[in-house]
Amino acid sequence: MHGNLGPGGAKSRTREAKGRRFLMPAVAVAAALSLAACGSSGPSAATSDKGLTMWALTDQTILKESVDAYNKDHPDEKITLRLFANDDYKQKLRVAFGANQAPDLFFNWGGGALNDYVEAGKVEPLTDRQVNLLRFMPSVLKSAAFSGKTYGVPANGLAPVVLYYNKKVLKDAGVEPPKTYDDLSSAVKKLKGKGVTPLSLAANSKWPTMMYLEYLLDREGGAEVFQKIAANGSEDWKSPAVTKANARLQELVKAGAFGKNASSVGYDQGASTALLYTDKAGMELMGTWEYANLVKAAPDFVKKDLGYVAFPAVSSGAGDPKNVVGNPSNFLSLNSDSKNKTEALDYLKNYAMNEQQIDSYLAAGSVPPVNKLEDKLAQTKSAADKQWLTFVYGLVEKAPNFQLSWDQDLPSSQADPLLTNVDKSFLGEIKPEQFGKNMSEASK
Amino acid sequence: MSTTSTARGRHQATRPPVQAAARSRRGGKPLRRTLSGVAALGWTALAVVPVYWLVVTSLRTRTDFTTDSPLALPSSPTLENYKTVLNGEFTTYLINSVLVTVVTVAVTLVVALMAAFTVVRYSNPWSRLSFRLYLLGLAIPLQAVIIPVYLLIIRLQMYDSLPAIVLPSAAFALPVTVMILVSFLRDIPRSLFEAMVVDGAGDWRMLFSLVAPMARPALVTVAVYDGLQVWNGFLFPLILTQSGDKAVLPLALTLYRGQFGIDVPATMAAVVLSTLPMLVVFVLARRQLVAGLTAGFSK
Amino acid sequence: MTAVARTPCPAAPHRARPDTTRAGRRGLSGLLMAAPALLLFGLFALIPLGGVVVLSLTSWDGLGSISWAGLSNWSGVLTDGTTWQALWLTAKVMVVSWLVQTPLALALGLFQAPRGRTRAFFAVLWFLPLLLSAVAIGLTWQALLDPSFGIGSTPGLHWLARPLLGSPDLALYTVIFVIAWQFVPFHALLYQAGIRQIPVSLYEAAAIDGAGVMTRLLRITLPQLKYTLVTSSTLMLVGSLTYFDLIFVLSGGTGGPGTATRVLPLAMYITGFQAHDMGRASALATLLVLFGLGLSMITTRLSGFTRMDSQQEGM
Repeated sequence: MHGNLGPGGAKSRTREAKGRRFLMPAVAVAAALSLAACGSSGPSAATSDKGLTMWALTDQTILKESVDAYNKDHPDEKITLRLFANDDYKQKLRVAFGANQAPDLFFNWGGGALNDYVEAGKVEPLTDRQVNLLRFMPSVLKSAAFSGKTYGVPANGLAPVVLYYNKKVLKDAGVEPPKTYDDLSSAVKKLKGKGVTPLSLAANSKWPTMMYLEYLLDREGGAEVFQKIAANGSEDWKSPAVTKANARLQELVKAGAFGKNASSVGYDQGASTALLYTDKAGMELMGTWEYANLVKAAPDFVKKDLGYVAFPAVSSGAGDPKNVVGNPSNFLSLNSDSKNKTEALDYLKNYAMNEQQIDSYLAAGSVPPVNKLEDKLAQTKSAADKQWLTFVYGLVEKAPNFQLSWDQDLPSSQADPLLTNVDKSFLGEIKPEQFGKNMSEASK
Repeated sequence: MSTTSTARGRHQATRPPVQAAARSRRGGKPLRRTLSGVAALGWTALAVVPVYWLVVTSLRTRTDFTTDSPLALPSSPTLENYKTVLNGEFTTYLINSVLVTVVTVAVTLVVALMAAFTVVRYSNPWSRLSFRLYLLGLAIPLQAVIIPVYLLIIRLQMYDSLPAIVLPSAAFALPVTVMILVSFLRDIPRSLFEAMVVDGAGDWRMLFSLVAPMARPALVTVAVYDGLQVWNGFLFPLILTQSGDKAVLPLALTLYRGQFGIDVPATMAAVVLSTLPMLVVFVLARRQLVAGLTAGFSK
Repeated sequence: MTAVARTPCPAAPHRARPDTTRAGRRGLSGLLMAAPALLLFGLFALIPLGGVVVLSLTSWDGLGSISWAGLSNWSGVLTDGTTWQALWLTAKVMVVSWLVQTPLALALGLFQAPRGRTRAFFAVLWFLPLLLSAVAIGLTWQALLDPSFGIGSTPGLHWLARPLLGSPDLALYTVIFVIAWQFVPFHALLYQAGIRQIPVSLYEAAAIDGAGVMTRLLRITLPQLKYTLVTSSTLMLVGSLTYFDLIFVLSGGTGGPGTATRVLPLAMYITGFQAHDMGRASALATLLVLFGLGLSMITTRLSGFTRMDSQQEGM
């Protein structure tokens, strides 16, 4: 490192000693200057000066196809797509907006996190004329609508959270897919007795644990409880249903539902998915995107042994068991500082979720949030995919309420306290009633 | 201070008999076999096993990773993971890392040498104050100022560029560098300076024809030390850059983790590849590396 | 360096030979020489240092404009239990790391110090962790300690198949262990260098007096290593404030499980860059600065860095 590349080192051999010494600072300064000057004209430069930038998550491979299609039609003003891991993405986006270097189009979950940007005047409202909004399900668009304006175009499939199971593992343990919470409890006992992890959970990532709380709260207290929390904050966190949901979660933990190691398992590392298809776990609660992951990692497992059901009902609870939680969809939103709005709108109108995209999503086992999809569903070739797509479509269509993931629904400043307290509740570090108190404190 | 350690190392190597004598007397065989011997063997296992695991895992297929025993040799060894990594933007990350490291070290050495020279040459209150400022800098954790640095970099319109990493990194390398160079320059006999003054030499000539050549061993040492810090630096790249084509290797590793996700063997291949440059340096210049690591601290 | 070739920028400018050989320019040239370093250091270290204190009195969400907030961040930070927990964890990591690393590094240094082929071979193996960046180490250990697919699934090592990084009781100690794995080789090098500098004559004299191994260790080696001990300890203690990278990677950026590994730098990062409360994060950062300054004031008293000032007077 130091030998040839040190200050003046590379040049020194050809120069007489005295000259070299004078050159030393000159080389260093020149190098610094050239680095600075080249900052914007290096290998990447062409992308940022001309054409669009778009940010999304790594697993959005179908979205990438639409970008490729756009780029093929517009070779002079291409879209540069950058893909991020889920866990870093939101922070990167925020910092980039703070530095006024945000992408033209950005992937998001709608909800309070998007509203942060909307309120800061960073997002362009979209109209039907601009981007053809009426093709999308109104219940989905709701997540990206604030004070009567829509700020995003759905960018992938419906993503309710469902309970996946491994048919073989359940059969070996003599367990039926659970319909009620009591079913779930007894399934946990039997699976544990068989030495498998009953419920595979990537608790290290925290948000998968939150999915349990979301469903448990919904089943215990109904959809209104969280709707009130999202609207009013603070005091509503102290609702008894919140305490009950946490008590149920801790009950499951104590029963060994998640195995001993869940707290070490991170979702991005894929171990929770792997546990399900390697027959080491019986069930996993996860968003519908997990189907595509499973198809990719273990296609044979999907054909033979994969099953899925809605989250079980809680018989004593006030919630409608047809309610779902998760991400109605992800969205692409337009940066209001974009210098390429015309191009971006062209992309959103003609490339985002066009016919081609709809077919690609369906082929990948994901249901696009567009109206009148029944005919297309009926044409699906693969039997496994058809069954899955019909299940997801039916689940969402019949759901009286589709609750957006809490960490997305709330303002982003509350996401960390929320996830931390979810984790603490899961770890048994706080009592069930403390969760609501802590959240109430954090959202003041 | 330590800056003489390179010279000392060379010196000692030419005196094997004394060293041999020292060995038998200093350590003492029974002690070696007990206390430090046990620690040594235990630590060897501890140091080697994870590195071994890292390498064999990077040679496994994705399927074998879930089925093979972790410490067994791969049942069907493959270089596929390395191909996956190298087919991506690895070269860009590597070039970025090299550029950032080389430029930061160059800038740091040049400005630090000049600063150290003035501290040694002038004993007025100003130079003393500046030296005290650098000493103070030793105690500032770099994490503590990341928010203002981020704000500053945005205001300077440098966000998401390589200089955004270089300048703060150089600033935070300065305290150690200046301190080590100052302590080294103080060992240059005053008579040499005086002889040059008699010759009519000014500060610049003194710097270039006397100080810089004499400080060479110290410069090498401190270059290695600073270089390592920058090469491994994570926080500045994490906060001050965003684009994939501006990512340096440590940051890129976290990108790989997100990108490969479930594919642990590919992530491990990226880790191995990111370490190779250091391994090359280690093989080519072990002594300088060791001296650089202990720069300024082994007295 | 190929990257330089790729960019279209001009090479180094023509070298100009400054006319500076005249004695009359002395003061000016001194100023010119000191200026770049002071400028760089001032701009990117000292101004931010002041900036962090100022920002701790403001409110900024990272998106909008910065507004004055008085002492509200401070009252928030100082009454928040998580701040004190972060401080406590930081102190705990610092002290336990020192207790773990010092004896190990000393023992390894003792083993490494005498020259010989076997020892040199061992030293090369021990050096391996030093070649990995903190991020590389974090990723490796995170995967290695995965209870399902990591080292715990090796026959005979099943006792490692537990949530070492996932259990609130174990995570901090696991982190401290990985920190030790990263840094012990470095400190062993320091001790090795220190031991090698002990004059052989001391041992020869002791041998003549018939001193045993233990006596030589306690009476000669350890006292002679006093300076190394102080230096190594200073680096460990001050360095422990900066274990950010490793803990960040090991805990997936959250300082979890729960807040079990959320040390002060991480709490600052999460408050600032994940919860977007830059003002409050700056108050935490100021605490970190105070912690660092306090620590170095204590260790400076011991380490003798101040000696340089007195040397300087003599110049």
